[in-house]
Amino acid sequence: MQSKFSGRWLTPLHSALLLCAGLLLCTGLSLPSQAAEELLQFQSAQQQALFRELTAELRCPKCQNQNIADSNAVVAVDMRQKTYQLVQQGQNKQQVLDYMKQRYGEFVHYQPPVQWSTIWLWLLPAALLTSMFVFMFRKDKTNAAPQLQQPQLDSELQAIIDEVSAPGSTQSPPQGRSNPS
Amino acid sequence: MRKLMFFIPFVLFIAMSVFLFSGLFSDPRQHGSALLQRDLPAFALPELMTGQRKTAEDLRGQPYLLNVWGTWCPTCNAELGFLTELRQQGVRIIGLYYVQPLDAAFGESFNLTALQDDVRRKLAEQGDPYQFNLLDEKRSLIFDLGVTGAPETFLIDQHGKIRAHHVGDINPQNWPALAAQYQALLTETAATTKEAADAK
Repeated sequence: MQSKFSGRWLTPLHSALLLCAGLLLCTGLSLPSQAAEELLQFQSAQQQALFRELTAELRCPKCQNQNIADSNAVVAVDMRQKTYQLVQQGQNKQQVLDYMKQRYGEFVHYQPPVQWSTIWLWLLPAALLTSMFVFMFRKDKTNAAPQLQQPQLDSELQAIIDEVSAPGSTQSPPQGRSNPS
Repeated sequence: MRKLMFFIPFVLFIAMSVFLFSGLFSDPRQHGSALLQRDLPAFALPELMTGQRKTAEDLRGQPYLLNVWGTWCPTCNAELGFLTELRQQGVRIIGLYYVQPLDAAFGESFNLTALQDDVRRKLAEQGDPYQFNLLDEKRSLIFDLGVTGAPETFLIDQHGKIRAHHVGDINPQNWPALAAQYQALLTETAATTKEAADAK
């Protein structure tokens, strides 16, 4: 008899349990950063919302692809603190972004500026989409055209049918079919 | 026309390959500095050993390297030897000491004498490339300079303008490029001082 744990039917259950454990771990790991943020006192809910928005949009210049809210690199901690100070001073989003860009460059904001070197980020997807539509419609046309008019093929087929079904034909009918006459 | 269409995917593939291949050799740490060709931000920081306040104006007059470092940073320690060689060749290097954040919750607090002892010991051991060190306890100048970590080095000209921003250590492989820039600044300085002397 098979052991209780070796059955194949347990595998999906195991993976589901693993997934649950993974999810729990993820939410557990994200708790400390939330706890750290709760220690900051804001004058208004708007300022708190702005702080959250900025720390999510500002990119840690030391670590690869983390925003400063997620990173605990020294530079990210300093940037969070500076963001908090600037928000407390009543600066708006653009002012804080400019302050950071002046020091850490355009790299620091996840929204790239529209420039000649970055225009491809917007043009390329649009071009791709357009060319796909063009390709699709053209293909539709070329496929549809031969079905509409094939007089040559039609007459050839008709000739074969006539020949086969003509009484007294010398040719034998196709194999596997009974002769109707 | 149909033949041309046939080649489009091939051309796209080649373009994509070239793009991705060139990406293999790019350094993700180098993403340009926002401070190039701008003046060194204003500051008033104490000299690490004497506590004497120095400002951006005090450092003007000659080109120099501003090296961000800390005894806690292994790469910085590794480059001290080579930087000391450069100092012996006559390169003016000023240190900007990077103090890591201290966590009061773990009973960490800033202790100047301990830090001075630590720096003295490290420099005696590895070589001392610095004319002097600026102490940036709150990392304020470090933040204004857009420093992401240590070591980083700035090349500053005689007017206090930032001419190069190097991320990572300076070693015999990457020094020649910076050396050429430094040399150009030296000749520029010599020319301006000569002009000033001739005018008198």
